[in-house]
Amino acid sequence: MEILAVSGLTFTYPQCAEPAVSNISFSIERGEFAVLCGATGSGKSTLLRMLKRELTPLGEKNGSVSFGGVELSQLPDRRSASAIGFVMQKPEQQVVTDKVWHELAFGLENLGTSPDEISRRIAEMASYFGIGDWYDRDVAELSGGQKQLLNLASILVMQPELLILDEPTAQLDPIAAADFISTLRRLCSDLSITIIMAEHRLEDVVPLCDKLLVMDKGQLIANSKPSEVISELKERPDILCGMPAAARLYAELSGSGSSPLTVREGRDFIEKGYNNTTRGLPQALYEHSDSAAMEFSDVFFRYSREGKDILDGLSFTVYEKEIFCILGGNGSGKTTALSAAAGLLKPYSGRIKVFGKRLKDYKNRSLYRECLAMLPQDVQTVFLKSTVHQELDECHADITELPYDISHLMDKHPYDLSGGEQQLTALAKVLASKPKLLLLDEPTKGLDAGAKLNIIGVLRKLKEKGVTVVIVTHDVEFAAVCADRCAMFFGGRIVSTGEPNEFFSRNSFYTTAVSRMTRGYYDNAVTIDDAVKLCSLNGRKEKPCS
Amino acid sequence: MRSFSEYNPIVIAVWFLSVTGIAMFCNYPLLMVISLVGAVAFFVMRNGLSHGKTHIFFWVLFLILALANPLVSHNGKTVLFVMNHNPVTLEATLYGLNSAAMIIGVLYWLRSFTQIMTSEKLLYITGALSPKLSLVLSMALRFVPLFGRQSAKINAAQTAMGLYRDDNIIDDIKGKSRVFSVMVTWALENGIITADSMEARGFGTGRRTQMRRFRFAAADIAFLLTELGLLGITCAAVGTKSLSFVFYPSITAKAPDMLGVLGLISYGLMILMPMILELVVNLKWKYLRSAV
Amino acid sequence: MLLIRNEKLRNAVRIAVPFFIIPTISILGALVFDGKRHILIALAVAVLSLVLFAAGFEKKSTGTRRMVIVAVMTALCFAGRFIPFLKPVAALTIITGLYLGGEAGFLVGSLSAVLSNFYFGQGPWTAFQMLAWGLIGLFACMLSKQLLGSRILLLLYGALAGLGYSFFMDIWTVLWYNEEFSIKLYAAALVSAIPYTVSYAVSNVLFLYLLAPPFGEKLRRIKVKYGV
Ligand SMILES: Nc1ncnc2c1ncn2[C@@H]1O[C@H](COP(=O)(O)OP(=O)(O)OP(=O)(O)O)[C@@H](O)[C@H]1O
Ligand SMILES: Nc1ncnc2c1ncn2[C@@H]1O[C@H](COP(=O)(O)OP(=O)(O)OP(=O)(O)O)[C@@H](O)[C@H]1O
Ligand SMILES: [Mg+2]
Ligand SMILES: [Mg+2]
Repeated sequence: MEILAVSGLTFTYPQCAEPAVSNISFSIERGEFAVLCGATGSGKSTLLRMLKRELTPLGEKNGSVSFGGVELSQLPDRRSASAIGFVMQKPEQQVVTDKVWHELAFGLENLGTSPDEISRRIAEMASYFGIGDWYDRDVAELSGGQKQLLNLASILVMQPELLILDEPTAQLDPIAAADFISTLRRLCSDLSITIIMAEHRLEDVVPLCDKLLVMDKGQLIANSKPSEVISELKERPDILCGMPAAARLYAELSGSGSSPLTVREGRDFIEKGYNNTTRGLPQALYEHSDSAAMEFSDVFFRYSREGKDILDGLSFTVYEKEIFCILGGNGSGKTTALSAAAGLLKPYSGRIKVFGKRLKDYKNRSLYRECLAMLPQDVQTVFLKSTVHQELDECHADITELPYDISHLMDKHPYDLSGGEQQLTALAKVLASKPKLLLLDEPTKGLDAGAKLNIIGVLRKLKEKGVTVVIVTHDVEFAAVCADRCAMFFGGRIVSTGEPNEFFSRNSFYTTAVSRMTRGYYDNAVTIDDAVKLCSLNGRKEKPCS
Repeated sequence: MRSFSEYNPIVIAVWFLSVTGIAMFCNYPLLMVISLVGAVAFFVMRNGLSHGKTHIFFWVLFLILALANPLVSHNGKTVLFVMNHNPVTLEATLYGLNSAAMIIGVLYWLRSFTQIMTSEKLLYITGALSPKLSLVLSMALRFVPLFGRQSAKINAAQTAMGLYRDDNIIDDIKGKSRVFSVMVTWALENGIITADSMEARGFGTGRRTQMRRFRFAAADIAFLLTELGLLGITCAAVGTKSLSFVFYPSITAKAPDMLGVLGLISYGLMILMPMILELVVNLKWKYLRSAV
Repeated sequence: MLLIRNEKLRNAVRIAVPFFIIPTISILGALVFDGKRHILIALAVAVLSLVLFAAGFEKKSTGTRRMVIVAVMTALCFAGRFIPFLKPVAALTIITGLYLGGEAGFLVGSLSAVLSNFYFGQGPWTAFQMLAWGLIGLFACMLSKQLLGSRILLLLYGALAGLGYSFFMDIWTVLWYNEEFSIKLYAAALVSAIPYTVSYAVSNVLFLYLLAPPFGEKLRRIKVKYGV
C-alpha cells in the first residue's frame, strides 16, 4: 500500500530565482526503506521538509504531497505531528529540553498522552535503545552519537508511521554510523516503519535500502532499486562516485549482470571474476621531509580540574608538506587535540611546537598571521556577516581561485545555505588566510562525493605549494585517498600511525570497503584505484563453460 | 525513607512559604529570634561550615540594618543620646534590631530555599500553574550554558582564523563585540530551528499533559497536613493579637496568652520538622547498616 | 489576556490592570489594613498582576517561534546579569518590546528576573523585579513608534527606565524593612541606592546605544524570513 505520494512538487524560496526543487513525483510503499542522495545543494533537505507539514519553509509551493491517501494540508494536526517523524541534520538542533527523560517525553506531552502511558512508552523505548543509563542526565553532557540516538528515540516514542531523516550520520564515527543504520533497518523490519533518509555516506546504507532516489539540481533523476539505479546512471560518474565501493568497482571494470552492493558481493565479484597472481601493487615509498611542522610531546589536557584527562600523554609529529589524517571515535578527543594545536586550549603539561617554535613563543598572535589557520568542526561559528559576498570580502578571499564554484551563492545569508554549501564557504574563508599549516576539523561532513574529490584536489595543490595539512575526519574513504599518513586516536592519544596502505590493511573496522573486500586475496589494496589496477593487471578469470 | 529535599516540591515550597511568610508579616521579637536561629541552624546543618563568605555578608548586613533605623527614625520616647541634634531612641534601636533579625532570618531561609529548589523542581511547580511559561523558562535555562559554550567556540574559531590582528585592548573589545553579534545571530536562528522541532513534535496542537516526575506519597501528605496544622495555630496566634508587641511610642508588650504560647511552640515545631526528619533518616541508616 | 475575545476589551484590560486596578487595590488595602501591612498588599498586588498575565498568556495561542525567541532573549538577559557593574537586562527587554511586541517584552523582563534569581537568590523581591522589568518592556512597546523613530528618545527612555526601576524597587525595600511606608526611610534608601541607580541608567543608555541597531537588524530578518 502506498503511504506517501508526491506529484509535480515544485518549491521556490522567497527572493530566489530558481526553484530549489522542481517537478518531483514519486511514491513510497508502506514499510519501505528509501534513501535520497544527490550533490550538495541539490535540494534534498528542502524536499524532505516539504514532506513534513510543520517544517515546510515559507515560499512558493506547487504540486501535492499526500500521506496515506490524504493531502498533507488536510491532515489533522495531531496526526500530522505523530504519524510523520522527522530527525534533523545536526544532533544538537532538534533538542528542546534540558533533560534526557524530558526530551523523550516531550512529543507525547504535546499530544496530551496520559502520564502513565508516557512513562510506559518511554520505558520501552529507553530499553530498546539502551538509554536507561543516561536517562536522568543533562542532554548537554551527551556525546554526538548519544544525542543522535536520543533524537531518534524521542521521535519513535510517538510511534510514527513514516520516519524522515536528514543526514543523520554526518557527525558519527564509522562504527556508530553503521550501528545507527542497522538500527534503522531493524526498525523498518521489526515495526514496519516506513523510512526515507537523505544521506551522503552511501557505503552502508545503499545495500540495505529498498529504493534509491537520486536528485540533481532540484530534479529527481532516478527512483528505483539500488542496483537498477546504478546501471541506469552508468554515464554519470559524478553520481556514481558516491556509490558503495563494490558498485563503483563493478562500474569501473564494466562488469555485467546486476551490480554487487555489499562488501561480500564485491568480494564474490572479484574472486569469481579476477585472478590474483599478482597480489600487490608496487608500493611507492613515502618519504616525509625532515623538518617537523607540528610536534606534540607528552601533552596532557583536561577541561576541568575534576574531569578526566582528554589528552592523555599525546605525542606525534607531522612533517612539513604532508597531509596527515587523524581518525577516531566520537568523543575521543580529536577536536580537543586540534584546538590545543591551534593554541586555543592550554595543556597543563607537555610541549607543542609549530615549525620548531613553541606555541607560547608566538607572541602577539603572530601564530595566526599566515602561519596557522583552523577550520572548526561547527562551521557556523565562522560566519560574521549577512551575505556570503561580505563574508568573503571580509577575509579578502578570491573566489576565482577556488576549485569549486560558489558564485551562485554570493547574495545569500550564510544561514540560508545548505549544510554542504556552508562547509564549502567556510573552507573558502579559511583558505583565504594562506596559512603554512592548515588544520581542518571534519571538512567533508555533509559533502557529496563529487565535492569531496574537489577538496582532495585543493589539498593536493596546497601540498605542492608547501602547505602542511592536518585533517580530523570520520570519512575513511576520504582519508585513504588523500592522506600521506593516517593516525588512529584512542583514549586521549594516538595509538598507531602509518601510510594509508598499511594503516588500513591492519584495521578491521576503521578501514575502507575495498580493504575489507580484498583482504586475503590482494595485499594492501585500500582505494578503488588500487583494486581496479590490481584487477586489470591480473586479468579476468576464464569463464567456466556453461 | 527520604530526606526533606527529596519530598514533593509542592510540599517543600509550602513549608518555605509558611516559614518565611510568618517571619515577614509578624513583628513579634520572640518569633523573629526563633526564625533567625532556625534559619542559621538549617543552613549550617545542610552546608556544614562552608559558605563562610555568605555568613560574613549576612552578619555585616545585619549590623547595617540594625543601625540604620535609629539613625533615620527618631520616634519613641526613651532618648538614649543625641547625635547631630537628632535624638537616638531606645525604641527605634530595638525596632531596627528586630527588623534586622527578620530580614537576615528570611535571607538565610531563602538561601537554603534556592539550594533546595533546583530548577527542575521549580519548573514542576510553575508547570502546574502555566505549562507554557514553564516551558519557556526551561528552555531559557538550557540556553544559558548553551550560549556560553557557543560563545567560547565562536571566539576560538575567530582567533584561529586570525581575526584578532593586534594584541591590544581595542582589538579585544572589537573582537568581543563581534563574537557577541555572531552569537546572537546564531542564537536567534537556532531558536527558530528549535521552534520548528517543537512543532514537528506536536507542540501547540492542543492540551499538553505533563509527565509527573514527583509523586505525592503518603509521607508527603502527612508532612503537608502536619505543617498546615501548625501553620494554622501560628496564624491564629499572630492574627488575634495574642502575640502583640508595640514599639512606638514606647515599648508595650503583654505576656502572651495560652494561644500565643501555643503559636510560638507551633512555629518552633514547624521549623524543626525537616531537621527532625533528617535526624530520623540518619538514625535509620545507621541502624540499618549496623543490622547488616 | 484571560479568554477575552474582543480585542479592544482585551487591550483595555491590559492597560487597566497595571494602571488602575493595582493602585485601587493598594489604596483600599491600605485603608482596610490600617496601614500596617503595606508589604502584604504590595506583594499580593505584584503576584496578582503576574498571575493575571500568566493566565492570559497560557490561554492565548502564541506562535511557537515567538515563544522560543522569548526564551532566547531571556537567556541572553540572564547571561548579561553576570557582567560586573553594567546590567543589560532592561536594555534587552526594551529591544524585545520594541520589535516583538509588549507581551514578549513583558515576558522577557519578568522571566529574566525569575531565572537570574536562581543564581542571585530568590525572594519576595522577585515578584517586584518581575513586575518592574516586565512593565519596562510593556511600555517600550506602547511607545514603540516614537522610540523607533528617534534614537535620542530611545536613550532617554532607557535612562528614565533605569531611574524608575530603582525608585520602584526602593519602595519595596522600605516596606519590607519598616512595614509602614515612611518618606524619610524612602529618601534614605534612595540616597543609599544612588550608585545603583546611576549604574542602571548608564547601562541602559549604553546598551541601548550599542545593541539596538544590530539587534534590530537581526530581529527584523527573523520577522521577515520566518514570520515571527
Ligand atoms: N532558507 C533558504 N533560503 C533561501 N535559499 C535556500 C534556503 N535553504 C536552502 N536554500 C537553497 O536551496 C538549495 C537547496 O538546498 P538544500 O538545503 O535543500 O540542499 P541539500 O541537497 O540538502 O544540500 P546538502 O547536501 O548540502 O545538505 C541550495 O542552493 C540552498 O542554497
Ligand atoms: N568545552 C568542553 N568542556 C568539557 N568537556 C568537553 C568540552 N568539549 C569536549 N569535551 C569532552 O571532551 C571529550 C572529547 O571531545 P572532542 O570534541 O575532542 O571529541 P571528538 O573526538 O572531536 O569527537 P567527535 O568525533 O564527535 O567530534 C568528550 O568526552 C567531550 O564530552
Ligand atoms: Mg541538507
Ligand atoms: Mg570533533
